Amino acid sequence: MSDHTKASGPIPFRNPGWAGNTGSFDLTEAQVRGDDFVGVRPPDGGHPSGAPSYPYMKADKAPDAPLFEGPYRERFEKILTRYPETRAALLPTLNLAQELRGHISPDTMREVAVLLDLPEAYVRGVTSFYTMYNKKPVGRFLIQVCTNISCNLCGGDEVLAAFLKHTGTELGATSSDGDFTVMEVECLAACGTPTAVQINSRYYENVTPDGVPAILERLRARGE
Amino acid sequence: MAFPYEHEREVRILSRGWGDPRTRTLEGWKALGGYQALEKALRMPRGEVIDEVKASGLRGRGGAGFPTGVKWSFMPKEKTGPQYLCCNADESEPGTFKDRELLRWTPHQLIEGCLIAAHAIQADHVFIYCRGEFFEAVQVLARAVEEAYEAGLIGKDILGTGIDIELTVHSGAGAYICGEETALMNSLEGRRGLPRIKPPFPAAVGAFGRPTTINNVETLCAVPHIVQHGGAWYREQGTEKSSGTKLFCVSGHVVRPGNYELPLGFPLKDLIYDVCGGFRPGRSLKAVIPGGSSVPILNAAECEDCTLDYEGVVEAGSMLGCASVIIMDDTTDIVKQVRRMVDFYAHESCGQCTPCREGTQWMARILRRIEEGRGTEEDMDTLLDLGDQMTGTTICVLSDSAAAPVASSIAKFRDDYLALIRRGERVGAA
Ligand SMILES: Cc1cc2nc3c(=O)[nH]c(=O)nc-3n(C[C@H](O)[C@H](O)[C@H](O)COP(=O)(O)O)c2cc1C
Ligand code: SF4
Ligand code: FES
Repeated sequence: MSDHTKASGPIPFRNPGWAGNTGSFDLTEAQVRGDDFVGVRPPDGGHPSGAPSYPYMKADKAPDAPLFEGPYRERFEKILTRYPETRAALLPTLNLAQELRGHISPDTMREVAVLLDLPEAYVRGVTSFYTMYNKKPVGRFLIQVCTNISCNLCGGDEVLAAFLKHTGTELGATSSDGDFTVMEVECLAACGTPTAVQINSRYYENVTPDGVPAILERLRARGE
Repeated sequence: MAFPYEHEREVRILSRGWGDPRTRTLEGWKALGGYQALEKALRMPRGEVIDEVKASGLRGRGGAGFPTGVKWSFMPKEKTGPQYLCCNADESEPGTFKDRELLRWTPHQLIEGCLIAAHAIQADHVFIYCRGEFFEAVQVLARAVEEAYEAGLIGKDILGTGIDIELTVHSGAGAYICGEETALMNSLEGRRGLPRIKPPFPAAVGAFGRPTTINNVETLCAVPHIVQHGGAWYREQGTEKSSGTKLFCVSGHVVRPGNYELPLGFPLKDLIYDVCGGFRPGRSLKAVIPGGSSVPILNAAECEDCTLDYEGVVEAGSMLGCASVIIMDDTTDIVKQVRRMVDFYAHESCGQCTPCREGTQWMARILRRIEEGRGTEEDMDTLLDLGDQMTGTTICVLSDSAAAPVASSIAKFRDDYLALIRRGERVGAA
């Protein structure tokens, strides 16, 4: 059998900010997250091939923004060019509406139905199937803690409890200052860096209960 | 250079370049020899590309392990209209986290693989369906696709060969079931992600009612290397029936969890103790789920001689799935973890089939009752009974996946259940 001594040896562990453990590598947070390659993505979606795939949650939401104007209109039109049927633009359009407004209200569903010439009931049916559509408004920061098996083995439940405690909220409710909504989420595909937490569109990995106050601090200060 | 840890026993083919931000760029990918395979493939007759992939023995990395070249050859010989390639980047099986790393470190590897596959199956348009949560990874991918369009690698008349292939990055919106191939197609079409009854199979009637092939991210990432170096070269790694390397996603109670690229057939014990550094001092092995939450659980004795290839894991009593190895030490409360997995399936069931919709809910409730110390020994029989009724009776295998950890944990960790039931006491709860 192989070398058992490694188990008790020092654990190489580096963490650039909150992007996760970088183990054997020396990388900045921007490098891990890809920010330095991607830069700031334009709201018009850049090349049409990627227009359907942009962020879905921002801190600053505009619940009354029109669907769609300016660069968002451009992006919506680019989305329409990518599929053989208009119906296929439904999810990307809902994603776009949520990115702008923060949640998908019955009114938004109606407007999207008109935009894509689909029955309103159909749009409702589809929207309710997918968990990432917020059916009601959420806080500036939507905090989703993974408690599925790999994270759970390493303390996911405790991290969830810490977020609830430090934001002073209950599961699914928004804090009184409107900043935080905490929810439980299924596996985020970051099981090797438990506990994985998604805050708005960003992943925070290797989160421990002790690290929670600093994350909340950072959110208030940096807005992401 | 797997990420976040490296190990000298790794064989890095797909993960070469991980942890190096330069490989995200077109320039960086070309510096590693990128897009040479595409040039080569586009000038080969498409039948030859399929034959090379068949010769490599590559098997689908999305879970089922179906031979990729054979799957491609199911597509119509004579094209009668549009055809599609879907890349399955919906990665949501608990314990699996390899596709995300492939997307965010080596996006051009995936783009190249998609284009070669699209040529081989005569697809006009590639849709990369990414789970909606993958914001960072998808931004990197979309940027890379943009670069490839600008360089004339995607779009009309690719590299002057007269071949046209479009590629679109598509984001889902949170539903595990959309990883099932026909549910993914429904979701892509703007419908609820409900699995379809097969037949017809996707190669006949797939996305938008047209012939479609669907492959996992890791499967497609292996393709450029196979085309470049040949099927025989790929077979140098792995075993006779499970060729090549595989990304192992190791999570749970080991010192260095993470992704490791190893040849198929690698011994499970070496993965745990050598590659991942074993357990924390004073802890020992209790159980392993070798292929993501959908496969039967293995106890310590079954891990002893288990090798990690499609056949080896079946022999040990489970399945390789997507090689998501979840490792549990002796502090683990098995009943709680099984209940958590069943909660997941109950939440993610699409609700079309009664055994799955009702069965997962019932199982979750009974398991919670046992966990809370209010269970009876009869409950275990009820669970096994339910599991039988949920297996092989539904449209997709999500239902079977929910039953597998329950049945296997009752068989192998009966004492944990009994302890809770008899004494109302939780085994292992620290
Ligand atoms: C419930 C369910 C969930 C699945 N989730 C995924 C997934 O997240 N990613 C994936 O690649 N395949 C997933 N699959 C497998 C796909 O249906 C399909 O077999 C696979 O994408 C085919 O690609 P491959 O031949 O390259 O493996 C899932 C299957 C089922 C039944
Ligand atoms: S088995 Fe479950 S998830 Fe699959 S189609 Fe039936 S109800 Fe839906
Ligand atoms: S189990 Fe938490 S990210 Fe997979």
